[in-house]
Amino acid sequence: MCGLAYFFEKEGLATTLVCFVREHAEAVSPPRVLWLNMPMGRPFGKPNDPEFQKGIIRAALGLLDAPEGPVLEDYPEVVPVRDGRMTHALPDDLVSQAEDRANPAVLLARIQAEVAGLRLGYDAAVKKRGRTTVGASGLAIEELAPFIVSWLTSEKVKSPRKGVPPLMMLKLACEDLWAYYTETASGVRGITGMEELGDWFWAETEAAKAILALEVLSEQSENKALRQLVELFLIVPRFWA
Amino acid sequence: MVLMHDMPKVARERLEEVEMPDFTGRPWTAPVAAAERKVAVVSSAGLSKRGDKPFSWSARDYRAFSAGDKNLVMTHVAVDYDRTAWQQDLNAILPVDRLNEMAADGEIGAVAETHYSFMGATDPLEYEKSVHDVASRMKAEGVNTVLLAPV
Repeated sequence: MCGLAYFFEKEGLATTLVCFVREHAEAVSPPRVLWLNMPMGRPFGKPNDPEFQKGIIRAALGLLDAPEGPVLEDYPEVVPVRDGRMTHALPDDLVSQAEDRANPAVLLARIQAEVAGLRLGYDAAVKKRGRTTVGASGLAIEELAPFIVSWLTSEKVKSPRKGVPPLMMLKLACEDLWAYYTETASGVRGITGMEELGDWFWAETEAAKAILALEVLSEQSENKALRQLVELFLIVPRFWA
Repeated sequence: MVLMHDMPKVARERLEEVEMPDFTGRPWTAPVAAAERKVAVVSSAGLSKRGDKPFSWSARDYRAFSAGDKNLVMTHVAVDYDRTAWQQDLNAILPVDRLNEMAADGEIGAVAETHYSFMGATDPLEYEKSVHDVASRMKAEGVNTVLLAPV
């Protein structure tokens, strides 16, 4: 973001930005930065809280009134995080306890039952919000689990989407499945906090077991492409562990 | 206050390793008065319209979408930031509704018809050409102010 600010200013457009890592903003020093003491992934603070969101926007746009810069201000309101972790972090023991190929056929059947059980809630959540974030992979919801679980039995799965590499499809399918669950939980079960949603999905669902099994498979694999799942933190949020 | 030294080891070390871009000069564009501001949002969340090609893991390109596009998808390479907020409310990362309200209240002049996203895991120096394209489009729409929103 700080780099983008540099190029936009060079193009003659005034910029203001919010940021999460204060030290990076200090190092690059773009013209106007508002530092947020909040979890990463939510630059306007809190979902469904218009006044809180507008407070951040007003403060960021307010930096444009400074006669000279660079300006780096700290936003006074805080959204607390747990133990310095900037989002939900998966406990490491969940990965170490995961079974790498734990009977894929049984696992798939369990996930499919879980997905079917969530469907009414998901549809209600989508109707309420008028939108969904599920769909980045382009696969139908019913296609996600079979595609993901197929990787537990073969490292040479073909991409079902032209122009999108297999490993990227796997990542997007995992994210779609994850979003399907958490959108449902936040939409109709009233679980809205990122920690609670993370704890529930990763510790309690069959879908997470498949993704964790892939993480273990990647850790143990000698296939360089597959190892990227772990090395680049592509499917399991372990960065903040 | 969460600064880098407060963060867990793995994350802290990775963030400390990030090479900061070395820019020449410090460009500074004089802002217009609040009432004259036409604001576009640029997100680094890897947002795009449903069906657009996903961002690659070292993407230098960008996606554009209209202010009315709400049913966006995200194809960012990282999973280690909160995604549950934007699932519940698009304004948590792309606050077009809030900007529209602020324009209606006279706090800003107007909101851009088009907003943009990059995939913010690429060396910032690689973005120059794409920013030039986006800036040209913004100027054609009369945009004079850019609100940059990371994830």
